[in-house]
Amino acid sequence: MPKCTVNGKQIEVKPGTSIIEAFKEAGENIAHYCWHPGLSVAGVCRLCMVEIEGNPRLQIACNTMVQEGMVVSNQSDKVKDAVRWGLDFHLINHPLDCPICDQAGECGLQEQYMEFGKYEPEMAERKVKKRKVVDLGPKVVLDSERCILCSRCVRFTDEVTKTRELGIFNRGDRSEIGTFKDRPLDNNYSLNTVDICPVGALTSRDFRFRQRVWYLKNKETICTGCSTGCNVKAYYNEDGLFRVKPVHNEDINGYWMCDEGRDIYKFANPEFRLKTARKGTQDHWDDINVVEAAKSVGSIVKTSVDTDGAGSVAVVLTGQHSNEEYDAILEWINGDLKVDQVYHWVNNPEKFDDFDGLLLRGDRNPNTKGLLERLDARKLNKTWQDFETKLKAGTVKVVIVVGPENPAVYSDMGEKVQLINGVDKVVWMSACPVGELNTMTGTTWQIPLKTFVEKPGTYVNFQGRAQTVKPVTFLVKQALSVVEAVQLMAGEASKVELVEPEHHPKKNYFVYSRGPL
Amino acid sequence: MEVKILTEHYDKPEFQGLDGYKKHGGYETLAKALKLKPEEIKNQVKEAGLRGRGGAGFPTGVKWGFLPENGETRYLLCNADEGEPGTFKDRLMMERAPHQLIEGMLISAFAIHSPKSYIYIRGEYFESLRIVEKAIKEAYSAGLLGKNILGSGFSHDMDVYSGAGAYICGEETGMISSLEGKKGQPKLKPPFPAIEGYLGKPTIVNNVESLAAVKYIIRDGVQAYRKYGTEKSPGTKLFSVSGNVMKPGTYEVPLGYPLKDLIEVECGGLKPGRKLKAVIPGGSSAPVLTAEEAQRATMDYECLAQMGSMLGSGAVIVIDDSNCMVDLLHVIMHFYHHESCGQCTPCREGTGWLDKIVSGIHAGTGRLQDVQLIEQVSQHMMGRTICALSDAAAMPALSFVEKFREEFEFYVREGRSRVKEVVANA
Ligand SMILES: Cc1cc2nc3c(=O)[nH]c(=O)nc-3n(C[C@H](O)[C@H](O)[C@H](O)COP(=O)(O)O)c2cc1C
Ligand code: SF4
Ligand code: SF4
Ligand code: SF4
Ligand code: FES
Repeated sequence: MPKCTVNGKQIEVKPGTSIIEAFKEAGENIAHYCWHPGLSVAGVCRLCMVEIEGNPRLQIACNTMVQEGMVVSNQSDKVKDAVRWGLDFHLINHPLDCPICDQAGECGLQEQYMEFGKYEPEMAERKVKKRKVVDLGPKVVLDSERCILCSRCVRFTDEVTKTRELGIFNRGDRSEIGTFKDRPLDNNYSLNTVDICPVGALTSRDFRFRQRVWYLKNKETICTGCSTGCNVKAYYNEDGLFRVKPVHNEDINGYWMCDEGRDIYKFANPEFRLKTARKGTQDHWDDINVVEAAKSVGSIVKTSVDTDGAGSVAVVLTGQHSNEEYDAILEWINGDLKVDQVYHWVNNPEKFDDFDGLLLRGDRNPNTKGLLERLDARKLNKTWQDFETKLKAGTVKVVIVVGPENPAVYSDMGEKVQLINGVDKVVWMSACPVGELNTMTGTTWQIPLKTFVEKPGTYVNFQGRAQTVKPVTFLVKQALSVVEAVQLMAGEASKVELVEPEHHPKKNYFVYSRGPL
Repeated sequence: MEVKILTEHYDKPEFQGLDGYKKHGGYETLAKALKLKPEEIKNQVKEAGLRGRGGAGFPTGVKWGFLPENGETRYLLCNADEGEPGTFKDRLMMERAPHQLIEGMLISAFAIHSPKSYIYIRGEYFESLRIVEKAIKEAYSAGLLGKNILGSGFSHDMDVYSGAGAYICGEETGMISSLEGKKGQPKLKPPFPAIEGYLGKPTIVNNVESLAAVKYIIRDGVQAYRKYGTEKSPGTKLFSVSGNVMKPGTYEVPLGYPLKDLIEVECGGLKPGRKLKAVIPGGSSAPVLTAEEAQRATMDYECLAQMGSMLGSGAVIVIDDSNCMVDLLHVIMHFYHHESCGQCTPCREGTGWLDKIVSGIHAGTGRLQDVQLIEQVSQHMMGRTICALSDAAAMPALSFVEKFREEFEFYVREGRSRVKEVVANA
């Protein structure tokens, strides 16, 4: 293990470590744009300048490997001067867009200039004009003038997705990022280019102009879009979630996440949610208090078991909930009430084992593994066929569905609703309204559930890796987690408190529209 | 005095064809070389002290020595891009003596165990392209290329590749990218081409003149070659002289030859009534010499380096007192701005910035601080990029402003060229 000295700190690094990585390990700041730990080294921004003892010329830290005994620093006046000028070179043709730029607040150029900049601009010449608001594809918009040509986005499409839609066209200061005429940037990972773009050159069509980033808070959680369980940060404020971005986890998602996963925040936002409990049949529905609803559902289930036996109740579970939620409902249903008709609703059986080669899995449920582990442990390995048989036989009087949180990946929703339509009493718990329930002939309760950002929980991804998350924010007051709903249903001394979503609108608050789903 | 070694038979049209070339001893050296051990050839080239003629002056034998020892396929790439403004010697070598280049390449390829070589010719040189292609065909027909050359057991294939006319494709890694069918952009080093070059294989890139010179080292021997030139710059060199001289052209002289003599004797001096103002000794990227410096300069790597300039590609650009330095720098900066490949920020932005500053001065809208700004910008472009194009732009800018500062300052103050006026009034 080579030892080296970085800005006076002695550290030991793995063989093959670059100086820039050594700086990161030593916790020392170093300016850089083009280097990204998930991509190859380009060495073009020339900001990561360092002085290596015994070497008269400055070197770039990203393409220089640590050698035993190396003494490196970026503290000398020579390095500082080089970085200041390097930043000025980046800025001479950069437009003065900050006030209207989507990246303002998290812009590498602003941040690094504040830290390393020269503050005395010398450029008096006319700037190079380039294209603005260019559609690179359905999800990404380019502003060429803001691009600092770090080539991260190009390397991403070359090396990660291998789709190679992006290129740098032209030369010198006429260089521009672009796509080939007939090949837009349209792959399921395209929004990662927006994340890695250090400036506001690449923006997400979904997010741009929706919110100034300094109004957003963020917390780490996981993506529930599929069984990979990518680590993400959810960005939110009083009005709800605005975006999710990947968080590095070498064992799960590396630095990336898929575009489809980025859309999950939408299903958590209030405008898409079931906001109160409802009870009704066919076209007549009444809003009811969720606590009352859960309690009455609880006694109905209990009565059914008591009078018609455990065989009169069936439970349908999707792979969209947490271990804690499964444990709670199974303990009540199977442990207390001895109901063993518990079924696993597989949303897309034919694509369940697909994999796109990068991250996205055909199993679009975050916790199928967790659910199966629990069903197996209780020997509740009933087939779906068995459920259908029981339904036909008419022995099932009450069905509880813990429906999907993300209805977009449940294309068979209508089919399943039809299947249980006719059962006397249906309890449908879900985060989103299920329009198909309007056709129900029996008595139906809809209980609003919390989404993955509103409750703590553990999810087991396809690899069997359990990840526990904490709530990010609260968005719908009446929503319950399955744990809370079961507590009410089982008549336990209730710990359930309905949580008021935060709301304190500010003066001069940025006006936004989150746009269509 | 001119010494014609490489250019010995350039005045004979028949030297271009295989038969004519053979009449003057063509391919005899190849036959001799194929009987030697590759190691011996390498050593002779090293001992002869041949320095690369493409600009950097790196010892050719030493470069060959960087190739890995394993049996991996290695390529030889002849750099005939000749993009440096002012340079036109490789063209002469290809058009007058294509077989001399092929022979030099074959000997070099044999020395480095290369089964395949390419000659990368700049796109504008269609005549060179045609002539070299024809010569390669002739060589194939005569069994000088292909399998088992002259019964030696050594096989080698050679091909020509025409560039599309970008200066940056003359830079060795840019050339490799271009040859690979990619955008002609230099690659980060390390890895160096000798380890990872064309198609990821070890590759040696040498200039036309360097490769041709190899033949003469093997033909005449190390001592004979070292008879010419200086201790650190042995041999002869072709200089392409342009600018304000009576007889511009390509001249072969021993290295160490006085620049003054090259201008006065070989090129017939300046035009009548004109005074020498400056000389760019090694192509447009070399720092300019004042007339006084030019009087003292000898044409070798060490003297010019000591004077803060360089021998470069051997393009001598002579500037007399009728020329405005602002005007010249304007043209040079425009060229480098146009040719920057755009990868590295200091070069991409710096060349454009310099071009704009100098254009501003040239248009009469310059600011007084611009002269100093040219220096600052240039200084921060040097040694900070993937390839030397950035330096190539910075060095002339810096030297022009340093050595002809009052001319730039006058232009800024008055909004016009002092020189033009002097000339007009003369
Ligand atoms: C911007 C740039 C342009 C260059 N153009 C040429 C060229 O046109 N011809 C050439 O032989 N070398 C050129 N070179 C130098 C090559 O990179 C390389 O050093 C040379 O071909 C090596 O051959 P040599 O060792 O025989 O000199 C250029 C270098 C740079 C940085
Ligand atoms: S668009 Fe962004 S990521 Fe791509 S090269 Fe430009 S600055 Fe870099
Ligand atoms: S791969 Fe799966 S977990 Fe990862 S972002 Fe996409 S949907 Fe979410
Ligand atoms: S120095 Fe200039 S020409 Fe050379 S690689 Fe960098 S940008 Fe391209
Ligand atoms: S981070 Fe090293 S050159 Fe850009």
